[in-house]
Amino acid sequence: MIAAIRALDAPIRAKAGFPWRIEARLSTGASKGPKTKVDWADLIGRVASTGDREAFRRLFEHFAPRIKGLMLKGGCSSDEAEEIAQNAMIAVWRKASQFDPATAGAAAWIFTIARNLRIDLFRSRARADRLRGTSELPDAPDPAESADAVMSRVQDAARINSAVKRLSTEQSMVVRLSFIEERPHPEIASLLGIPLGTVKSRIRLAMNRLRDILDEEA
Amino acid sequence: MTISHHPPEDLLADFAAGRLEEAHQLVVGVHVAGCARCGRFVQAIEQLGGLALEDVEPVPVASDAFEQVMSRIHDAPEQRAARTADLARGRDQDVPAALRNYRIGKRRRVAPGLSMRSIELSGSGKARAFLLRSAPGTRMLEHTHTGTELTLVLEGSFSHEGGRFGPGDFDYGDDETDHRPIVGDEGPCVCLVAMTGDLRMNGLLGRLIGPFVRL
Repeated sequence: MIAAIRALDAPIRAKAGFPWRIEARLSTGASKGPKTKVDWADLIGRVASTGDREAFRRLFEHFAPRIKGLMLKGGCSSDEAEEIAQNAMIAVWRKASQFDPATAGAAAWIFTIARNLRIDLFRSRARADRLRGTSELPDAPDPAESADAVMSRVQDAARINSAVKRLSTEQSMVVRLSFIEERPHPEIASLLGIPLGTVKSRIRLAMNRLRDILDEEA
Repeated sequence: MTISHHPPEDLLADFAAGRLEEAHQLVVGVHVAGCARCGRFVQAIEQLGGLALEDVEPVPVASDAFEQVMSRIHDAPEQRAARTADLARGRDQDVPAALRNYRIGKRRRVAPGLSMRSIELSGSGKARAFLLRSAPGTRMLEHTHTGTELTLVLEGSFSHEGGRFGPGDFDYGDDETDHRPIVGDEGPCVCLVAMTGDLRMNGLLGRLIGPFVRL
């Protein structure tokens, strides 16, 4: 399988701006790049407990440009992506005490914050188009927070982490391209160098596999 | 609560990625909040979202972005608390917690044994959302959909060719589904529904009352 993915490497890298450091991920499988691994969860903890500005600056410098990058891929304008990046970091500061490293990784948690802000932004944009200044509707519920039958979530977190790791690289890649980066199937096909028809079945397979692994570990 | 009918995986993944339109986000979200199994699936996709965030090519933010953010944090530290108080006004015991942030219309009778309350959305999507209440034992007319319909049972139950659907169960209908649900006898059935397109009643009676059933 590694060989197959190596073969995919060429068309992927040929596309300008393709973001993933596939070689690094394949070779190490875990932490990427030469930098020492920063414990983002610890920095969030310091923001929560003492309002540590320096810890927050490091979080900001790492995550704000990445949030902006991801939002640009998800169809936001540059201004919108900037706005979401800034608002997400404000939310990181304000909600730092709600972050539980036992249930979510720092990046996944920040991803959900940015995701929710994007949902809000798209809705308020539609609202503004439609209502033009009439009464403001309440904010949409926060999907990340509403799912809080949290008791079992700590055991769940370990299970979920290992489930995600058990997906093959090509499976997690196709899920990320399709759902997180929202790339249309023809684009995924050309990025991965596979026929269009294979994209759909590979997504399907990855979804089923993830469900199976999760059920198995439950 | 034993949940036996779940949303399809791609719908859950779209939910986790924040890609669903509002009405669908709402229905799937209420299911996920009450279903540990789907909750885990959503969290797994969120993990992948976190990995994507780590791997994406960073795009520089405005040069003064950090200062702007710090001054906004400094200027309005209590903003969140105010917002929560604001939302508390719309509380209504009749509706599940996830819907309490929404404005919900008055109950409107649409057919014998059938009433609905529409849920006010932002208008960013095509689907409508409403609460549908049917009396025990109601036989829904045979109908097909012109669009898609996501249904989540909140109370009571109904059954059709696809099985029995009780609290927490999720049902997906599209224009290929042709069903005739029967509401369980144990009590009224309350469902949260997201619907695009229209219901199309089959049969003569359906065609007669169809124009009046504005779901």
